[in-house]
Amino acid sequence: MESDSSESYMKNGFVELSHISLRPLELSDIDDFMVWVSDPKVARFCPWESYTNKEDGINYIKTKVPQHPWFRAICVNNRPVGATSVRPNSGNDMCRAELGYVLASKYWGKGIATQAVKIVTKTIFDEWPHLERLEAVVDVENVASQRVLEKAGFKREGVLGKYFIMKGSTKDMVVFSLLSTDPKT
Amino acid sequence: MEKELQKLTINEGKGGNESNIELSSVISLRLLDLSDIDDFMVWASDDKVTRFCSFDSYTSKEDGINYIKNTVSRHPWYRAICVNNRPVGSISVTANSGNDKCRGELGYVLAADYWGKGIATKAVKMVANTIFDEWPHLERLEALAVVDNVGSQRVLEKAGFTREAVLRKYRILKGTTRDRVIFSLLSTDPRN
Repeated sequence: MESDSSESYMKNGFVELSHISLRPLELSDIDDFMVWVSDPKVARFCPWESYTNKEDGINYIKTKVPQHPWFRAICVNNRPVGATSVRPNSGNDMCRAELGYVLASKYWGKGIATQAVKIVTKTIFDEWPHLERLEAVVDVENVASQRVLEKAGFKREGVLGKYFIMKGSTKDMVVFSLLSTDPKT
Repeated sequence: MEKELQKLTINEGKGGNESNIELSSVISLRLLDLSDIDDFMVWASDDKVTRFCSFDSYTSKEDGINYIKNTVSRHPWYRAICVNNRPVGSISVTANSGNDKCRGELGYVLAADYWGKGIATKAVKMVANTIFDEWPHLERLEALAVVDNVGSQRVLEKAGFTREAVLRKYRILKGTTRDRVIFSLLSTDPRN
């Protein structure tokens, strides 16, 4: 197995989009997982603090990931470089689900998150036929993540003031949505 | 707990049922009691009223009694909207937990005879004036009105809420997904 084989697919900063895939995250992925969860740059706009020990990472993969209704590792050449998840709702809210994603900072700016989101949008409405709205809320300051959603075809609907608590303070969040009836890019 | 407000003058002379509306009436919020069941059934059984509500019109008093006994009593914040201490509707705030606990969702319903008199607006203002003190962790009071429910959107605008966005196909109502307009009032917003 080549060490860091994903490097060979990054020529001139571009990653072959065909080498981006989604798959379940395994315990054997722990070292790759620790790369992004221990990075404060990555954790900045996430609701969690960056991880400081591998034990917490193992615990997360073992107990939290299986609890997620829909969770996938974002892989470049089958090596995890981030993760994406979709959270459903129930009852009268089951028409909508919330998308989240996180990517190791080394892989930012190459269209990987956008491609991963596009892959999700192409499958989630088929997997969940009752789903009509996929939404995402992004910190107003997280411009890069807003661009990911725009490029992936989401519609920016508005700004929700003091919507969510992140690292102890309430944040304004931009809300985006993609409908099952929207064109998929 | 009763909150008495300044006397609200209600216009006579609107076409329709004026017999129970006096020139000076007091709007208040209080807990809903089982003894209010008949007043409750007036709005809860009216299709005109429940058109934009998550519940279908009540057809049996038994169901109404069960609702007051089991659901209302367990609600984090639920009050009857009263005119001269008679319930004419209800207003409630649901709480969230974890990283979502900074926001609560407002909902209200009013008997059709009492529409168009500023009562719902008054009730919303009363909630806005107390909920942030009762729940110090609350920073955002939000409400989601179905896009077709223009009357309710005007209530929120008059009560000082900010219209933020239209959320497409946000929630199922009576079996189909509808767009909703989301409004918010922040704890730091001016109260009118």
